[in-house]
Amino acid sequence: MNDKKLQAKDFITIGIFTALLFVVEFACGMLGFIHPYIVASYVVMIPLVGSIPMMLFYTKIEKFGMLSIMSVLLAIIMFVTGMGYLGAPLIITAGVVADLIAASGGYKSFKKTVISHGVFCLWICANYFPVVVSAESYRQDLLDGGYSAEYCDNLFRAINYKTIPVLLILCFTFGCIGAFVGKAVVKKHFEKAGIV
Amino acid sequence: MALKLDPRTKLFMIFAVSAVVMMSATTPFLWMLRIAMTMVPIGLLTLEKKYASAFRFLLLYSAALVLLFTCISEQSEGFLMALLLGYCCIIAQFMPAMITAWYVVRTTRIDEFVSAMQRMHVPDGITISLAVVMRFFPTIREEYASIRDAMKMREIMLGGGNAARMVEYRMIPLLFSCVNIGDELSAAAITRGLGGKVKRTSVEALNMGMQDYMTILFFSAALILFMVFKYLK
Repeated sequence: MNDKKLQAKDFITIGIFTALLFVVEFACGMLGFIHPYIVASYVVMIPLVGSIPMMLFYTKIEKFGMLSIMSVLLAIIMFVTGMGYLGAPLIITAGVVADLIAASGGYKSFKKTVISHGVFCLWICANYFPVVVSAESYRQDLLDGGYSAEYCDNLFRAINYKTIPVLLILCFTFGCIGAFVGKAVVKKHFEKAGIV
Repeated sequence: MALKLDPRTKLFMIFAVSAVVMMSATTPFLWMLRIAMTMVPIGLLTLEKKYASAFRFLLLYSAALVLLFTCISEQSEGFLMALLLGYCCIIAQFMPAMITAWYVVRTTRIDEFVSAMQRMHVPDGITISLAVVMRFFPTIREEYASIRDAMKMREIMLGGGNAARMVEYRMIPLLFSCVNIGDELSAAAITRGLGGKVKRTSVEALNMGMQDYMTILFFSAALILFMVFKYLK
C-alpha cells in the first residue's frame, strides 16, 4: 500500500480503537459519579489507562489522518452522550495537532509519539468545558433551584477557569508518562506475541 | 406495532436532546418540556418491545427527579447529602441524552445507518469508522464477559492485589481479541466491496414517512420553545 489515501481497513482500525478508548473513558467516568473531585482526576486516570490501547493504535498508524478522524469521532461521541459541542473544537484541534506531530516523525519516532500522545490527551479536558464556560449562569441556576451553596462550591472549586490551565498541563504530562507506560506494556505483551 | 423511524430522524432527535441537555432548566415549564422530550425515546423503546431497558430508564429518571424536587432545600448540607444531590443532578441532567443515544444505537441497523449517512454526504471515513464503533460496543462487552470468566477460573478476582495488575489482566486480553476481531472484520468488509471506487447501493430503501416528520416537528418545537423561554423571557 504505497498510496497516501486511507483504506477501508484503516477506517475499521480507527473505529475499533475509538470504541476501546471510549470504553476506558466511560469506565473512568462512572467513578466520577461519586464525587465532583474525582471528575477532576480524570486527567490522571484516562491518559494512564487509555495509553495502552493508544500505544497499540500508534503502532498501526502509517498515514496522516487516522488520529484526526479519531478525534472527530470522539467529538461526535461526546456530543451524543450529552457533553455538548463546546469541547468539539478543542478535541479536533488536539487530534489534528497530535497527528501533525506524529507525522513529522514519520509515525515511527518514539520521541514524537510521546509528545503526540500528550497533545492528544488534551481532549479529556473538553469534558470540563460546559462546566467552565457556563459556570456563572450554571451556578446561579443551581442556587435558584434551592441547592445549598456548599454543594456548588464543591463542584466549582475543583473545576473552574483558574484550574483549567493546571488541568491541561496535568493532562499533557500524564499523557507523556502514559506513553511510556503504554509502550512498555505493548512491548511486554504484544511484541512477544507477534501482533505488532 | 413498531414505529419505524428513519435514521436521519433519529440523528435529529439526538441533536435536539443534546442541545437541551446543555441548558439547565430553571422554571417548572422548562422542566415539563425536558421531561416530555425524555418520555419520547422511552415510549419509542417500549414500542420496539425493549420493555426491560425502557422500564429501567423510566425508573431511574423518575427516581432522580422525585428526589431532586422533594429533598432539596436550603438546609441540605453535609457530605452524604452532597453526594446524593450530585447523583440526582447528573442523572436528571444527562439521562435524556443517554436514553436517546441508547435508543438510537439499539434500534438502528448498521446498513440503515450507513446508507443514511451516505445520503447526507458524510465522508466515507467517518461513516465507516462510526459504524464500526457502533457495532463494536456489544462485542467488547461480550469479550469482556468471557475474559472475566476465564480470570475467575484462574482465581484472579477483581479487587485482589493492586490496581495496575487489575487493569493489565483485563485490558491486555481484551486488546488481543479486539485486534483479532478487527482483522477479521476488515477482511469480511473488503470482500463485500467496502472501500471500492464505485458508489455503493443499499438494499434498504430509506424514506421519510409521516411519523418522521411528526417526530422532527415535535423535537424542533420543543427545542425552540425551550430556548425562547430560557433566554427571551
